[in-house]
Amino acid sequence: MTQTETQSENKLKTKDEVKVAVIACARSVNLEGELSATKLNGVSNCDVIQVPCSGMIQPRMIEAAFNAGADGVIAMGCQIGDCHFREGNKFCRERLLGQRPPMIKKTVPKRRLKGLWMSEVQVEDFKARVEDFKGYVAEQLVEEQKGN
Amino acid sequence: MLTSFVRSGQKVILRIEDILNKVFSSEQNLLYYHGAMPNFCMWMLFLSGLLLFAYYTPTLEAAYQSVEYITNKLPYGDVIRGIHRYAADAMLLTVILHALRVYFTDRYREYRLIAWYSGVALSVFMLIIGVSGYILVWDERSFIIVTKITDFLGSLPFIGSSLASAFLNGEVISNYTMSMSFFLHTGTSFALLVLLWVHYMRISRPVVNVTWAIGSLISGIILLFAGLFPAISGPEAKFTVEPSYFDIDWFYLWLFPLIDAVGNIGAWLVLIAGITLVTLLPNFVRNHDKEPASVSKDHCVGCRLCSIDCPYEAIYMAPRNDGSKYKEIAVVIDDRCAECGLCVGACNFDAIELPNYKSPQVMDDIRIALQS
Repeated sequence: MTQTETQSENKLKTKDEVKVAVIACARSVNLEGELSATKLNGVSNCDVIQVPCSGMIQPRMIEAAFNAGADGVIAMGCQIGDCHFREGNKFCRERLLGQRPPMIKKTVPKRRLKGLWMSEVQVEDFKARVEDFKGYVAEQLVEEQKGN
Repeated sequence: MLTSFVRSGQKVILRIEDILNKVFSSEQNLLYYHGAMPNFCMWMLFLSGLLLFAYYTPTLEAAYQSVEYITNKLPYGDVIRGIHRYAADAMLLTVILHALRVYFTDRYREYRLIAWYSGVALSVFMLIIGVSGYILVWDERSFIIVTKITDFLGSLPFIGSSLASAFLNGEVISNYTMSMSFFLHTGTSFALLVLLWVHYMRISRPVVNVTWAIGSLISGIILLFAGLFPAISGPEAKFTVEPSYFDIDWFYLWLFPLIDAVGNIGAWLVLIAGITLVTLLPNFVRNHDKEPASVSKDHCVGCRLCSIDCPYEAIYMAPRNDGSKYKEIAVVIDDRCAECGLCVGACNFDAIELPNYKSPQVMDDIRIALQS
């Protein structure tokens, strides 16, 4: 049983309490001035960790985020079709969909894992999507507890 | 200043692409096929050119008549000619779009230098093909083009007269001139294929094909133009009449108004300066210090995933003779490495890392961020 599952059993979370980790391509949404250390301004409990390209996101990084207490994880790259390094976001999406090795472990709660593909100029849209996702994760936590 | 200019250009492109994504979806976004579109036009040109080639006669007496025969007598000959004419314009437009996009999205330098240089060479070749194509029709415009190019080439010091007689294929306009123009048109076209091979070097899985929908759209637009504005010849060229005026095709014949404006030597200077400037564009931006990915001998299991995923063919697998139980090891070619980390994403063994973004460090960052 992972740490996350233990947490969700103990206490149901409201949308605001849901903790989200965004592992983001540094070239997708431009977050200059939008971050205080790793915290996303204007959105509660959202940490952003940037890497040079979403193609660099390893399944183990996603696992690490869930294990460190994230309720939901977003892997974010540029819009599919556009990638500064040509194929990074495509490969990342294929990994999220389980179509490209290395595979994501089965213990990772895939319903609380999201791929987001946005360009540099979509800052506001990005924040809205994170808020939506937090709501979705809160619902999923309820569902998962019912399932247990 | 240059950087902020490029950055604002990139923002404009990204906003347009965002709109196109919403209208057409990202699978059918024209701007995501900016390199494949000129390629598609090129194959349309090869195919329509092949059909024209079957009926065209490259002699002074017969050239004009053979083009007239193709246009008026041959079933759908006028359509094929129209396609050949407008696909050339479409190719140039899409090449310009391609060049602008790679420039403004900063995808033309460092590890992409070969693609940029070969792209400039491809554009020069396209100009030669375009101009020589206008000679083949052998109407009054063709006649003016031949005389102007002869003067233009001849104006160069030292090699000018040799170049001019090489172009005329003799000292006067003759059937041999037509052969030379025909060679410049078709021979250079095939050279495009060789240059394209260079253009695609170091790019794994280049996007060379458009989707069916985009292909149909481009073909449809070209057909529409061919139908609305049929490609027709002017009056046949006669040596007795010196024509003084012709319609300018601003896509391929802009060199001639330029010559009229600044003279032959002036036009040479503008042409050479322009090509040099575009070629040297990557040199105007300082490259950042290279920190390529590095492979850990102890961790690499020779699974090949990184070498398969590398988008720039920067990783190859070498046989391993260091007593390891694994047969191969990944080797990074430093100059080709874009430092994108796609190899890191493909590796499950901590065997390949970017010096600035080691994956254990990224995982630590994630843990620290979530616990703060």
